[in-house]
Amino acid sequence: MKILIQQMITGISIGSVYALIASGYALVYSLLDFSNWAHGEVCMLGAYCCFMATMIPKMPFAVSCVLGIAGAALISLFNEKIAYRRIRNNGSPNMFLMIAAMGLSTTYQNLANVIWGSKFKQLPRFFKTSTLNINGIFVGTTDLLCIVISLIVLVLLLLIINRTRFGLHVRAVACAGSTARIMGIRIDQVIALVFVMAGALAGLAGITYGMKYNVYPTMGNVGLKAFIASVIGGLGSVPGAIVGAVLLGLIETVVSGYISSGLRDLISFSLLILILLIRPAGLFGVDVQEKA
Amino acid sequence: MSNNSTPLLEMKGVEKHFGGVRAIDRFDLRIMPRDIYGLIGPNGAGKTTIFNTITGIYQADEGQILFEGKDITKIKPHEAAALGIARTFQNIRLFENLSVKMNVIIACNMHNRYSVAEAILRLPRYRKVTKAIEERAIGFLESVGLADKADDIAGSLPYGHQRKLEIARAMATDPKLLLLDEPAAGMNEEESLELVDFLKKLHHDNPITILMIEHHMDVVSRLCEQCTVLDFGRTLAQGTVEEVKQNESVVAAYLGGEL
Ligand SMILES: Nc1ncnc2c1ncn2[C@@H]1O[C@H](COP(=O)(O)OP(=O)(O)O)[C@@H](O)[C@H]1O
Ligand SMILES: [Mg+2]
Repeated sequence: MKILIQQMITGISIGSVYALIASGYALVYSLLDFSNWAHGEVCMLGAYCCFMATMIPKMPFAVSCVLGIAGAALISLFNEKIAYRRIRNNGSPNMFLMIAAMGLSTTYQNLANVIWGSKFKQLPRFFKTSTLNINGIFVGTTDLLCIVISLIVLVLLLLIINRTRFGLHVRAVACAGSTARIMGIRIDQVIALVFVMAGALAGLAGITYGMKYNVYPTMGNVGLKAFIASVIGGLGSVPGAIVGAVLLGLIETVVSGYISSGLRDLISFSLLILILLIRPAGLFGVDVQEKA
Repeated sequence: MSNNSTPLLEMKGVEKHFGGVRAIDRFDLRIMPRDIYGLIGPNGAGKTTIFNTITGIYQADEGQILFEGKDITKIKPHEAAALGIARTFQNIRLFENLSVKMNVIIACNMHNRYSVAEAILRLPRYRKVTKAIEERAIGFLESVGLADKADDIAGSLPYGHQRKLEIARAMATDPKLLLLDEPAAGMNEEESLELVDFLKKLHHDNPITILMIEHHMDVVSRLCEQCTVLDFGRTLAQGTVEEVKQNESVVAAYLGGEL
């Protein structure tokens, strides 16, 4: 029982990292109807930005984290301004956006390899003690930190979407971009801000992921897990992505713990295929057929 | 700035080409404040294209568009609403997945009178402003008779109600000029007569000018003082509805059909 609780906490912790990435992924998908395959690399670059900042003497780690998050937000905005916006506005099919994102993803991965090499880089930890013993249940302090920070950030994100005027504009653009424009909404501005937010979330995810598993050029593959999470929740739904992410994190740790860690990714991707086959709209999405 | 002798909207020699197609060709239009003006013509005549150039969705290739005497030829779509130009679409374009009320609230594009922090924490000012916006939105829904449907999903409304919601949403942007693209499309005679009364009241109750595209001649003749008849992007005739009905080229264009 104690072991199960321990694993649940680990699962929720990795799930919360997935959730940070998946929610940004879902936001972009809801606005632009395309899978932003470069999102995982934004997460990776955020982690490297933070790592670079920690190399500066006397830099407090918290400030390095803020710099990492800011770096990821800027890179995400850069992708939008340099690539996606142009493709969108010259009337190309949506497929081009996805191809551009794949190109960016590979470019960033190789760039990271060239700049920092393939060796793992270590991020410092916030706490001296790495595990707490709560009545015989061992809980990683980094895990707890992940969960608490993600919870705060994601609640904030949902409040922004549901309560602010900006959030209303995001929903309007997601629903019908060209109509939103006629209502006086600057949709390019809304989209740019969403990329900044998604990038910041990815940067935070990269740092927390990096604290747990170190920083390396292919760590952006965690973006694939976030993709699975948002398919589980329903593509384009932010609450769906969050629920899907936590679910996926739990399933993965339980599979690793009770079956075999080698089967973890196999199960995750099988789940993806299964969802696509039986419920393509995910848990929170509108049924594709109902929509038509 | 603007007075009763300046047209609210003026188009001078406006042209829009798509490849070889002259969708509109040397088009002139003068609409005075408070007019209800009709734009008539067969399918493909270029009527919707005129709306699209006015609202900045298309850029005119030639000519000039003036609104209250100001050159708006090169405006961006999101600027039209702020200037006071609102429109509906031939193929209704609502935020289908959002509630009826939300559709109007989005259009009540009041300036940010609360900060993000105030919104997240639901501080008093946020509650006050959102309540005011909501009341305003309900007011517009009442004026089109949809207040009781405020919480329905817009896409689930019957066709006629969707048209009215689109008009309510356009009115919520507080327009000076309302562009209606075939508001009576798909309506039977009774419904279109009801629409005429509704638009008359709307025009009476609000300081708006209306430019409408319409096929139903009974609707046009009941509402519009003046109209322009268009065919293949060119103006065939301009004048009162009675005058244009007598016009030979108009009769020829319609082959004695609808008119
Ligand atoms: N975006 C576009 N691309 C190419 N041709 C267009 C476009 N928009 C309109 N047209 C053409 O312009 C002409 C006028 O269209 P439109 O203004 O929609 O006519 P109406 O509203 O009077 O029925 C048609 O021949 C139409 O095919
Ligand atoms: Mg048309």
